[in-house]
Amino acid sequence: MSKRQKKKTMSMSNRIFYIFNTIFWIVIMFIILYPLYLVVIASVSDPDAIVRGEVIWHPVDFSLIGYKAVFQYSEMLRSYGNSIVYTVVSVIISIFVTLTAAYTLSRPKFAGKGILNFFFIFTMFFNGGLIPTFLVMKDIGLYNTPFIMILMGCVSVWNMMVARTFIQTSIPNELYEAAMLDGASHFNYFFKIIIPLSKTIIAVLIVYYGVAKWNDYFTGLVYLRDRELLPLQTVLKEILATLQVDKSGDYMVSISENAASINEATRIANVAKYCIIVVATGPVVVLYAFMQKYFEKGVMIGSLKG
Amino acid sequence: MRTQKGVQVRVPKKKESITNILKKNWQLYILILPAVIYFFVFNYMPLYGIQIAFKDYKAVDGIAGSAWVGWKNFTDFFHAYYFKRLLLNTLLLNIYYLLWSFPVPLILAILLNRIRGDRTKRAIQTCIYIPYFISTVVLAGMLYIFLSPSAGIFNILRESLGLKTIDFMSKPEAFRSIYIASGVWQSAGWGTILYIASLAGVDQELYEAADIDGASVWQKIRYIDLPSLVPVAVMVFILDCGKLVNSDTNKVLVMQTPGNVSTSDIIGVYVYNVGLGSGQFSYTAAIGLFTNLINFILIITVNKISKKITDVGLF
Repeated sequence: MSKRQKKKTMSMSNRIFYIFNTIFWIVIMFIILYPLYLVVIASVSDPDAIVRGEVIWHPVDFSLIGYKAVFQYSEMLRSYGNSIVYTVVSVIISIFVTLTAAYTLSRPKFAGKGILNFFFIFTMFFNGGLIPTFLVMKDIGLYNTPFIMILMGCVSVWNMMVARTFIQTSIPNELYEAAMLDGASHFNYFFKIIIPLSKTIIAVLIVYYGVAKWNDYFTGLVYLRDRELLPLQTVLKEILATLQVDKSGDYMVSISENAASINEATRIANVAKYCIIVVATGPVVVLYAFMQKYFEKGVMIGSLKG
Repeated sequence: MRTQKGVQVRVPKKKESITNILKKNWQLYILILPAVIYFFVFNYMPLYGIQIAFKDYKAVDGIAGSAWVGWKNFTDFFHAYYFKRLLLNTLLLNIYYLLWSFPVPLILAILLNRIRGDRTKRAIQTCIYIPYFISTVVLAGMLYIFLSPSAGIFNILRESLGLKTIDFMSKPEAFRSIYIASGVWQSAGWGTILYIASLAGVDQELYEAADIDGASVWQKIRYIDLPSLVPVAVMVFILDCGKLVNSDTNKVLVMQTPGNVSTSDIIGVYVYNVGLGSGQFSYTAAIGLFTNLINFILIITVNKISKKITDVGLF
C-alpha cells in the first residue's frame, strides 16, 4: 500500500488521534522550553524591565550588566574552576573503574562472579546513611579535601550494569574467543579491543557521570569547610538561600561588589540571578549537545537489558 | 546464539584445578580490583559506622570506643512529638510524587512513539531530555524566581487576570504541588528513555498484522504498545517503591523556607539539620538506619508481590 492510499483510508478515530497528539506535543514542548527560554531572555535584559514584569516573550532593553557582574565575582570564578577540575578528574576515574569492572562482570564464567555481583548489587539497596558515612569519611581523613569531591559517588553500580550489558551485547563474543586462542591476555584484550569498541558507551558514561558530578551541591555542603575548595553548585546554594526572602540579600549584592551604590547593586542582582543560571547550566547542555550523536544509540543499547 | 551453543558442544566440560583457573584469570581479578576497593571504602565501611546508632557517639571516643546504649536512640525517635509529622510528610510527598512521576513518562513515550516523521520525533526527544541536565540548585533557583511575589511570571499572570499575588514558596499547602510539578517537569522526559527503547524493540510484523486487520491507533496502543511496556514499567515501579521513605533530600533542602516548613519537613532534611547542624550523630544515625530498613523491606516486598502477579522481578 502506498502512503497516499493509507492516508485516504485513515479512519475518523485515527484522524482525531493524530490531531490530539499534535496539539499535545505542542503544549508539552511549550511547557518544557518556555521556562528555559525565559531565563535566557531575562539574562540579557535590563533589570528594571524584569522588575516591571515586561520580559515575557523577548529581551527588553538589551544589556549585559548581569553577565559582567557574574564574571567579576571572584568567588564564583574560583568555584567554577574547582567544579571543572573535580568533574574532569572524577569522570576519568569513573570511566576507568566502571569499564574495568563491567568487562570483568561481562566474562561468561569465572570463580567468584556470583559473589562479586552480590557485592555490588547489595550497595544499590542498602547503604550506611548520611551520618555514618560522614563519620567514616572523617576518620579516614577525606573530610575537607578535594579527594572527597572527586571520589564521592564517582562509581555507580547502575552505570556498571549498563556498561556490562553493552559489552555483552554489542561486542561479538567471537572476537574474544579468537583473541584468547591467539594467546591474548585479559589486559591486552581489554585495552586493545574493548576500549576502542566502547566509544558509544563511554560517551554515555561521560554524560551520566559528568552531569551528576557537575550538578552535585550536597557533597560540598556536607564534606567541605574551606571556602576555597567549594564547587560551583554549593556556592550557588548559598546565593539561593538569599533569594528565598525574595530580596536580593547580602550575597547577591556582594556579587556586584564593584557597583557604585547599594541601590545599583540590588538592581544588578535582579538580572544577575538569571545570568548565574545560564552560566552554571551552560557547560552541561553543551556537553549533552556534543555527545548527542553517540548518546541516543548508547543509551538504548545499554538500557535494553540493564 | 547458535555459535554459543556450538562452542558449548565442541568444548567438553573439564574440571579445572584452582591454580589453573587463577593462572588463566588473575588479570580479571586485577581489573575488578579498583571497583571492589571503591565500594568497600564508600559503601561497606560506612556500614561499619552504623553501629553508632546503638551507641552514644562521642568524637573523642570514636566509632568503636563510644558506649553502647541499645535501642535508646530509636525509642527516643518513635516517641518524639515530631515523629508523626516527619513520617507523614515524607510518605505523602513520595506517594503523591510517585502517582505522577510513574505514569507521565509512560504516556509521553507511547504518544511520542506515535509521532509521524523521524525528524520531528528526534527533535522532540532531544528537547524533552534537556530539563534533566539542570541541577537541583538551579531548578530551585528557577522556582524562586518564577514564583516570586514581586516579578515572578506566575504572579504577573495572576495580576493580569486581576488576582492577588501569592508567595507560593512560603505556602505550606503549595509545597507538595510545586515539588511534584517541578520534579515531573525535570525528569519525565528522561524517564521515557527506557520505554522508548522497549517500544523500538517491538516486532514490526505485529503492527503490519494489525493494519491488515484494520486496527485503529487506539487499538494498537492498547493491544500492542501497552503489553510490551509492562515488564519495564514493573521494574521501574519496583525501583521507585524502594525510594518511598528515601525522598530527594537534596531538593527538599533547597526548597524549604520558614513558611512551608510544616509540609516540607521530611526525615532526610531533619537528619541533615539535626545530625550535621547540631552534631547529634548517634540519634540521626538511628533515624537513617530506620528509613534504610523500611526502604529495604519495601523493595523486597514489592519485588515479591510483582513476581507473583506479573512474573517480573529485579532479583
